[in-house]
Amino acid sequence: MPGPTVIERLVADVARQIRLRRAEFYGLRGLLWGAVAAVVPLLLKESLGLWSYLAAAALLLAGAGAGALWGFLMKLPPSDVARLADRGYGLQDRVSTALEWADRADRTPIVDALVADAAARAEQLGARRIIPRRVPREAKFVPLPLALGLVLAAAPPIPLPQGSLPNFSVSRDEEEEKLTDRSGDLQQAERRQATRRDAVQRAEVQERTLTPRLGGGGQSQPGDLAAVFKDTSLAGRAPDFNSFLKKGDDRLRMLEQTDRLPDLQSDFTQSQSRVVFQKAKALRGGFDPNKKVSPEKLRELLQEMERLGRKNQGGQSGWSGDVYEGMEALEGGDSDRAMEAMERALNKMRSQEERGRDGKSLKGGRESDRRGNKRGNERGQGQGGPGDEGDFPEGEGLLPGRGKSGSPKGDPTARLRGNPFDMGVEGESRPGRKQGIDTNMVGRGSQMGSRLQYMGVLGQYRKMMEESIAREQVPRDSQSHVKEYFQALDER
Amino acid sequence: MAQPPVSSQSQEQRVQEFVSGYQALRAEVGKIIVGHSEVVREVLVGLFAGGHVLLEGVPGLGKTLLIKTLAESLDLSFSRIQFTPDLMPGDIIGTNIIVEDAQARKHFQFQRGPIFGHILLADEVNRATPKTQSALLEGMQEGSVTVSGHSHPLPSPFFVLATQNPIEMEGTYPLPEAQLDRFLFKLRVRYPALEELTEIIDRTTHVRPVEVRRVLTGPQVLAMRELVREIPIASHVRDLASFIVLATHPQWDRAPDSARRFIRYGASPRGAQALVLGAKVRAISEGRFNVSVEDLRATALPALRHRLILNFEGEAEGVDVDDLIGQIVEAAESMTGSGKEVFLR
Repeated sequence: MPGPTVIERLVADVARQIRLRRAEFYGLRGLLWGAVAAVVPLLLKESLGLWSYLAAAALLLAGAGAGALWGFLMKLPPSDVARLADRGYGLQDRVSTALEWADRADRTPIVDALVADAAARAEQLGARRIIPRRVPREAKFVPLPLALGLVLAAAPPIPLPQGSLPNFSVSRDEEEEKLTDRSGDLQQAERRQATRRDAVQRAEVQERTLTPRLGGGGQSQPGDLAAVFKDTSLAGRAPDFNSFLKKGDDRLRMLEQTDRLPDLQSDFTQSQSRVVFQKAKALRGGFDPNKKVSPEKLRELLQEMERLGRKNQGGQSGWSGDVYEGMEALEGGDSDRAMEAMERALNKMRSQEERGRDGKSLKGGRESDRRGNKRGNERGQGQGGPGDEGDFPEGEGLLPGRGKSGSPKGDPTARLRGNPFDMGVEGESRPGRKQGIDTNMVGRGSQMGSRLQYMGVLGQYRKMMEESIAREQVPRDSQSHVKEYFQALDER
Repeated sequence: MAQPPVSSQSQEQRVQEFVSGYQALRAEVGKIIVGHSEVVREVLVGLFAGGHVLLEGVPGLGKTLLIKTLAESLDLSFSRIQFTPDLMPGDIIGTNIIVEDAQARKHFQFQRGPIFGHILLADEVNRATPKTQSALLEGMQEGSVTVSGHSHPLPSPFFVLATQNPIEMEGTYPLPEAQLDRFLFKLRVRYPALEELTEIIDRTTHVRPVEVRRVLTGPQVLAMRELVREIPIASHVRDLASFIVLATHPQWDRAPDSARRFIRYGASPRGAQALVLGAKVRAISEGRFNVSVEDLRATALPALRHRLILNFEGEAEGVDVDDLIGQIVEAAESMTGSGKEVFLR
């Protein structure tokens, strides 16, 4: 009986049609994506050369071919084919039912009639395509990448943007030049001088690395309130809040006696005076020789200098007269005279700044300021100078309440005041398991043993405090207390 | 593929006999009934599917005449019960009466009611009380009635054709959903078209005697019912029937939006049975040996329209159940895979 064979032949024929239509369908999809991909090598025509055409064509063909192959090889169950055959030929599910029931064990006798009927009808069918061509929705976009590809192929190569980033590295010469521009001549001279001295003394001073970096706390003497800040043993230990509180109480007690503490907070690298110097320099440097000074900027600068004078010296600054003169000249429209007055005021400000830099940013606190003023006046009268005052006897001068002066700390040697470069401390944080500070003293004052210990402690004092506060769980109230203290120093 | 046995010729003859009997019956009914071809067809489908049919229509459309003609065309007994509010179950089923034998001994004897007929016309079934309706519907479902502890089988084939008037609701007892479910089909008898109405006038107002022949006997009807059940159905057609029924349930996660919105309860498994059985009769009545999707589509309306219970929104908006079923069938077809989906998957 030819029934099953005829039905199977019909199903095979329809399956072939479906595969072809699927190949068309997915081939179009693949063509679209292949065309999109082919644009890329055409964009890179400048670098790829003739290979870009080959790559584009290959991508186009590969996309279409892969899509067609995918569609052709897609899974196609015979039951689905039979259903489509029934639909296509109007067989009212005869073929699919016959195909399904022909091999079933529970088939009824009427199934035989069904198979025969389906086969008879299948034989009468003429060879025609019953599977309509389906076009994917994306197919309407196929011309776009194709047209774009043709345009790119015909157009000259597109120059590609440079992939390298601009060179942000600064050469040593440029850096030095910037430093030179940023600071004044006097600062440059100071830096060179200090560098020369460092070269001579650094090796000797480095051997005197202070004991606090060992974490065991520095040697303290009885009555030395600052000793509590020398104790850096907490840094090397595991966090222990109780011990911190105990140490913290001692330190807070010390902090309450603010009059005895030196002013370690001054930042001479970015002081207001330095800002004024920089602004003045920018004002002068930006001038065109043929143009006049901008009166507004000049007025702003003079006003700032006047405010700085009032703030620092209580209105008794040495440059106030020059500033007022410059402002009057500016009011009168005489910019040249105003500039001259400003230059004079700047020179005075610079001189005062240099005098104030006693020991490279390590001033002796409020009492030191008071002393400095007094001694400055004396020096201005031709008295004093290095070596005027002899060294303190043993046990005097360094310890609170043991010196000749009324100051509980005692008086430092006068020669430290004589030359601002006599004494200095350079500190560098040394990270590691046992953190510490490597401190070197520079200048002639570094030769004095008692001073060395004192300055060493002071050099570490502020950094130790900051690191301890940052590292340990300090109560917020205590933090604010410490910060207020340093803020108070700033204001002074 | 296994080779089929050589008995297909006899099977084709059986199918051919079915088709000829079906067409003969339809022709006889057509002698009296003008138009209503679809209703006549569905009634015959119900007859050969072994179910019962509920006809709904306004008075005067020929519902009763259709059933009477069908009964006259079949060599089967026919009973008619006019349902009224005072009709009692015993009036339908029958009752025990005291009879006296030859020895003057009295005893109870079961007096059969009108339900004991092959074809039963339950006219205006919604006018009887629920108790009486239940008596009828029990017989419809079980094929037997029980009186005083004795079960009395109903004759076979047993075919109930009930009618109800959809507009006169005063003094009626609408059939509950559980009892409506017992009917295989619910047919809507509509007004005749102009040509049909003209023909009706011509036939009924002239002296033109029409004789209806008895074309089928009871055993023939039973044999045809047996043949119907042998018709194979493809799995995708069967799945479509399942999807159609499931799609009437608003709780089903794939139910269409219209079903979710307007339906309170969907069709029962009896609905699926009615769908497939009706489709099979439809297929074989056309001389086919298999059920097609078109058969299911055509059978969905009569098989499901009385099995869907609209919710308040559906009732308030006057949703036509037939439209709703059409949407559900479309949704179910898309679920089982249209041609496009089959092509792409």
